[in-house]
Amino acid sequence: MGACIEAVSALTSHGFRKPSARRLAEAAARASLAHAGREPGDIDMLINAGIYREDHMGEPALAALVQEDVGANLGQPPIGGHGTFSFDVLDGTRGVISAIRLEAGFLRSGVIRLGAIVTSDVELNLKDPGTAPFGPTGGALLLGWDDDIPGFTDFYTETFPEYEDLFASGLAWQARRGPRVPARATGQNQMVINEKAGYRARLVDCAEEATRHFLRRLGMGIGEIDLLVPAPSAADFVDPLRMRLGVPGDRVAYVTEDLQGAYTSGTIAALQAAIRSGRLGEARNTVMLAAGAGITVALALYQSGS
Amino acid sequence: MAEPGSTRQDEHWLALESPKSGSSWGCRIDSVGVKLPSEMLTTKDLMNQTRHHTRIQLERLTGIHERHVVGPGENSFTLATGAARDCLAHSSHQASDIEMLISTSITRSRGGYSQSFEPPLSLSIKQAIGATNAANFDLSNACAGMLTGVFVLQDLITRGEISCGMVVSGEYISQLSWNAARQIRSLFSKQLASLTLGDAGAAVIVERAPRDTPGIDVIGFTTLAEHSRLCLAFPSKVGAGAQMYTKSRKLHRVAIEDMAPLVAEAIGEAGIDLSDIDYLIPHQTSARAIRKGTEEFARRLGAKPKHVVVNLEEYGNTSSTTLFLALHKYLQEQRVHKGDRVMLLALASGIEIGIAIFTIDSQVDHYGRLH
Repeated sequence: MGACIEAVSALTSHGFRKPSARRLAEAAARASLAHAGREPGDIDMLINAGIYREDHMGEPALAALVQEDVGANLGQPPIGGHGTFSFDVLDGTRGVISAIRLEAGFLRSGVIRLGAIVTSDVELNLKDPGTAPFGPTGGALLLGWDDDIPGFTDFYTETFPEYEDLFASGLAWQARRGPRVPARATGQNQMVINEKAGYRARLVDCAEEATRHFLRRLGMGIGEIDLLVPAPSAADFVDPLRMRLGVPGDRVAYVTEDLQGAYTSGTIAALQAAIRSGRLGEARNTVMLAAGAGITVALALYQSGS
Repeated sequence: MAEPGSTRQDEHWLALESPKSGSSWGCRIDSVGVKLPSEMLTTKDLMNQTRHHTRIQLERLTGIHERHVVGPGENSFTLATGAARDCLAHSSHQASDIEMLISTSITRSRGGYSQSFEPPLSLSIKQAIGATNAANFDLSNACAGMLTGVFVLQDLITRGEISCGMVVSGEYISQLSWNAARQIRSLFSKQLASLTLGDAGAAVIVERAPRDTPGIDVIGFTTLAEHSRLCLAFPSKVGAGAQMYTKSRKLHRVAIEDMAPLVAEAIGEAGIDLSDIDYLIPHQTSARAIRKGTEEFARRLGAKPKHVVVNLEEYGNTSSTTLFLALHKYLQEQRVHKGDRVMLLALASGIEIGIAIFTIDSQVDHYGRLH
């Protein structure tokens, strides 16, 4: 018995007149609830793992806004019902795996019965246009409990802090040039993304090393991975990694072309591909992997028991 | 351990854990650390620097006389790191014992960034303090962030997944005060709450304990998302950092209205009465709001805690660090003793409500004049 994937949904901004992080996350959440035949009020815990929003809101947690948008247990707390607890996990491309670890734990404790994880990133007003490592996408994943499968059994993260400065992002105040105009702002807070040469190659190096350490800890060989679900952390990441690991291409879940730009939604997009192809249900051992700034690599083992 | 999947206690509105959950282990707060910037700013000095003549008597309204504010070279990262080191200094653990480190700052200023996004701040903090064995991530839940982090660690610890973790936050939020001071015109401004903010770092180590020993009795959370827009913070349009817009009166009205049944749920789960709480430490917003809230609890629940902790006068509202800043002060001044029962009450934009009830134990031995 264990925490199991009830439904996933990953989507692009096509069909949105003006995509926002909230709208993308809400649409994905609604789609995943529909796939699972669940109601918004069934959600006990909602974690947002998306990072890049158009408004860069500091508070409240985006998860609270998405909870309101989908209508999960609104209104005054009556005695006898159950509420929804929402918060954000900010862990870059690894956010979904980190959030799964938390919700799988709360499911095991019996604190929750249904967990939701949402993600979204949108196009930004960047200081240097073209440096964004992603396109606008949203994702949602529902986690429940299954008495018949082991589900998520192991998690692992490994950090390579020697590469901490290869990728950094944040808001910085940029003074406006030219003469000062009354009633006009003297500058703006603008997103700056700084990716240094060699970052993407090091991502592959670190992901390979962390995967081998994870498998060694589990006492598993590469050949026992029935399905590898890697988040497409960067262009040219997945194939170099699977070749270095020696995993055949037919054991890898590739995200569909339209979701290639998925960032924090990458794990969900890859899971969606695995589910749609039927391979997630067939695989006994599925390894999920996401690597990103830090450099930190997160891995999870999902056992369907088949 | 509670039977997963089917036995979530349906009578709870809160996502809630307690010894009744049947966990393998207990969990307790090992130590609390604080880092306060050395510069002080009085309410009088702040109000003297507003661009417009506001006539707001902020100190009388909120009870805040002064607050700590960052000086040159200080930011969210330095405050968080300083607090983490102070926490370790009061702990029985080494940095290498920490298996998970969660950073919960709303503000994440460091280096040239007014708000950094990646890599997570938690990575830099764990490297700075030498907690190299720890997994890390950032968690954001407004002013309830630190207690949310404790809730997460408590679950990991009581299930036996880890035995020791740290939650840390460094809030450089006085920038919001300065941005508000440029724009605020009257008492009815939605930026009024921004003038109450002070800077601080806080950290807490949570550890595994044998069951049935003093520790965290109950911890639970919920999000009243129907009111998610009552307090919003965005990057500022007038200067570096952020601006915050709060419908303070409605926020407090809703909080007081909805919090009472949630507190009743938590103390019911603990099998106690509100009068069994020796110290209630609420989120620090304004002395008047805390007093009114406490009176309303007493009216609705038919009892009141023995003491209500208010430290606004010297710190202001330090956002996600308020609860642990107050707890640290009471530990340091030896005002809490072994066996005292403490309730931490988080209230945050969202609206997030978090409640933790725990019993003071050996952590008091690590505080006081000799430490």
